[in-house]
Amino acid sequence: MRSYLLRRLGQAALTLAGVSLLVFVILRVIPGDPAKMLLPEGAPQSAVDALNRELGLREPIWVQYGIFLRSVIRGDFGQSFQYRAPALRVVAERAPATIQLALVAMLLTVLVGVSIGVLAAVRRGTGYDYAGTVLAVLGQSLPNFWLGIMLILLFGVTLRWLPTSGFQGWSYLVLPSVTLAAFPTALVARLTRSSLLEILGQEYIRTGRAKGLGEPAVIWGHALRNAMIPLLTVIGLQIGTLLGGAVITESIFAWPGMGKLVVDAIFFRDFPVVQTVLIISATIFVVINLLIDVLYTVLDPRIRYG
Amino acid sequence: MVRTGVARAQGRRGEIIAGLSERMLTLDPANHYSISATSVLRHVYDPLLDVTNDDRLVPALAESWRPLNNTTWRFTLRKGASFHDGSPFTADSVVFTLKRVRDNSKLIKSFVYQDIDDVQKDGDYAVTVTTKRPFGSLPAHLTMLGMLPPSAGAGEDAFFQKPVGTGPFRFVSWTHGDRVELAANARYWKPGVPRVEKVTVRFIPELSTRAAALRAGEIHVIDRVWPDMVQTLKATPGVKVLDTPALEAQRWHFQLARETVKDPRVRKAVSLAINRDVIIKDLLLGYARPVVSPIPPGLIGHTNLGQKPYDPEKARRLLKEAGQSNLTLDFVLMKDLYPKQLEIAQAVASMLSEVGVKVNIRNLEIATAREQRTAGNYDLFYSGWAHMPHDPDWYFGQWFTKAGAEKLTRFSDPRVEQLIAEGRVPDPRVRQQKYAEIERILWDEEPEIWPYYSVAIYAISDKLSNFEARRDYYVLLHEVGIA
Repeated sequence: MRSYLLRRLGQAALTLAGVSLLVFVILRVIPGDPAKMLLPEGAPQSAVDALNRELGLREPIWVQYGIFLRSVIRGDFGQSFQYRAPALRVVAERAPATIQLALVAMLLTVLVGVSIGVLAAVRRGTGYDYAGTVLAVLGQSLPNFWLGIMLILLFGVTLRWLPTSGFQGWSYLVLPSVTLAAFPTALVARLTRSSLLEILGQEYIRTGRAKGLGEPAVIWGHALRNAMIPLLTVIGLQIGTLLGGAVITESIFAWPGMGKLVVDAIFFRDFPVVQTVLIISATIFVVINLLIDVLYTVLDPRIRYG
Repeated sequence: MVRTGVARAQGRRGEIIAGLSERMLTLDPANHYSISATSVLRHVYDPLLDVTNDDRLVPALAESWRPLNNTTWRFTLRKGASFHDGSPFTADSVVFTLKRVRDNSKLIKSFVYQDIDDVQKDGDYAVTVTTKRPFGSLPAHLTMLGMLPPSAGAGEDAFFQKPVGTGPFRFVSWTHGDRVELAANARYWKPGVPRVEKVTVRFIPELSTRAAALRAGEIHVIDRVWPDMVQTLKATPGVKVLDTPALEAQRWHFQLARETVKDPRVRKAVSLAINRDVIIKDLLLGYARPVVSPIPPGLIGHTNLGQKPYDPEKARRLLKEAGQSNLTLDFVLMKDLYPKQLEIAQAVASMLSEVGVKVNIRNLEIATAREQRTAGNYDLFYSGWAHMPHDPDWYFGQWFTKAGAEKLTRFSDPRVEQLIAEGRVPDPRVRQQKYAEIERILWDEEPEIWPYYSVAIYAISDKLSNFEARRDYYVLLHEVGIA
């Protein structure tokens, strides 16, 4: 296990180096000029050139990458072009909003998604199953944008139960997390249902029932535990996605998170901020994948890494 | 208790929350050209001059100003104004602020102030600015430049974490991407201002969300309302919609080095084939004004030259004369930048197809579109020009001089260049006359299509009093009260 972890950590470092190089090069190859985006339209070319020099963008790309790598190792991700502040600080200011939203949305996804899925599988062919299917189809097909606006209009404007937008406390989390959780909840519900149904047909379940285990013990103790393996993979990927920031949901709810930040940074060619966010998201992805792989062994002792 | 008593005595109470479309990126007044930042920072810092909604320059920290000659401006400063940390505002502040913006080339506004030669104080309350060449638009530019205390120079990064100005509100906090909080400056030099204890500015880029927050009563004013949202807002109890002709002309510029549109007959034909009334009435629901000059009314030099005619018959004739029977134009748009732009471009494409011109709409992400423009890969480029500052010199200087337009439209006309230089003097009569002449030449040559002047639409809570719908898109709240 230990040598496996060490090997995985080594691979993770390589992956991150690859991501950083890719992001760095792509940003500089796509059309668009950072200084031009910062200066007003119609600023003279001499001002554009001078600003690009100040931003260090006149150096050859490999020189820029060398400087970048050396600073990143020291924990310095460069200065944001737009904010004129350290990129890491700019990103760190947005991280709490994204993390809270992602965690609450994930909690909703797991609780609601797994419950619906289990109910649908156990009561297969009943009204519960059909209702679950309808909910799952809606959750996966309603665009976030539309769902968010509808929730705002209903609960914010008409009923006035919840704030429409912004981030000032727990009540502000409700609408965005529901919006954000809709798609993954539906995904998890469907996956739970199909995975559980498959397992409920297995012989060891019949054995369990035959030896007189109660239905809850069969479902929660045996069936669901085995159904968790594919679920865990999907949930892990979803956490990674959510922590990277949810662009559309953040835009609709004026949520000060990383998703909106990185999209604006891409539009305005704020290279240091894009690089920082992407490297952090990649790190999160890599770490979560590693954790999930370790969790497999906990759920299913037959899985071993050597 | 005593404090509330004092505040009541001055009639100052309540909090106003504004929802702005554009996120603010900096607290440094010299480091942006953002309308949103200009609005927010005007509450914290005072500039030397203010500009009214009818485009008059009025005193702020400068009590008066006058040109001593074509390259020298003299400003007499207000006595008794002080920064939020208690230090007095004096000529040192002006000298520091102007030299800083000129000398620190990292600042976004630096290039504008390169013409400043020297800034000299004359006692504590007068400043003389000498310039390398005539700089008639300097007072207009100064309306956008908040004055900093000279102590800011000691550590700028720390200063802009918690800045002080002389403005009507003190800076309290800024949560990036979310909100700025400001508190009334009880010692503001202007009596009776501000009228509320607290102002919060929230940044809500999505219009539907901005409108929902206003309708839910969470905020009191929103900017940048689109025409098709007006009916919904008007129908909401407690919400008022205000609109005013903006200081913004839509202007679609031609790439004048391209063989196709180099010929003025082709440009005229394109202009004649566009039915501007349809765009204004049907697509913008009347929230736009017909154009009568490249420069919108209110700015110095505006001259009414009459509306451009719609005459597809004549357009066809001109195209035939120019030998362009099979013309295709690349029309480049910066994605999602202007209200209804794609619909408008599509309407224009169909109008032009009536006269036999094929339009190839290329709706590109902003940075890419601007890169394509630099490379000259377009025939017509969809753009607008909000006049910031309130002076046409910048628009003329950037778009109609050889140096300015080199990487943009490739416009070059020695006559216009000469007039722009002559129009830089401080004397408003000279400027008026030169600019009128430039406008006539442009109106005739049509290096750009001017389809309409924009209208600025705001929606506010009816609890607000004295809110002014600004033509420059600023949202200014220091003289606004709340019930």
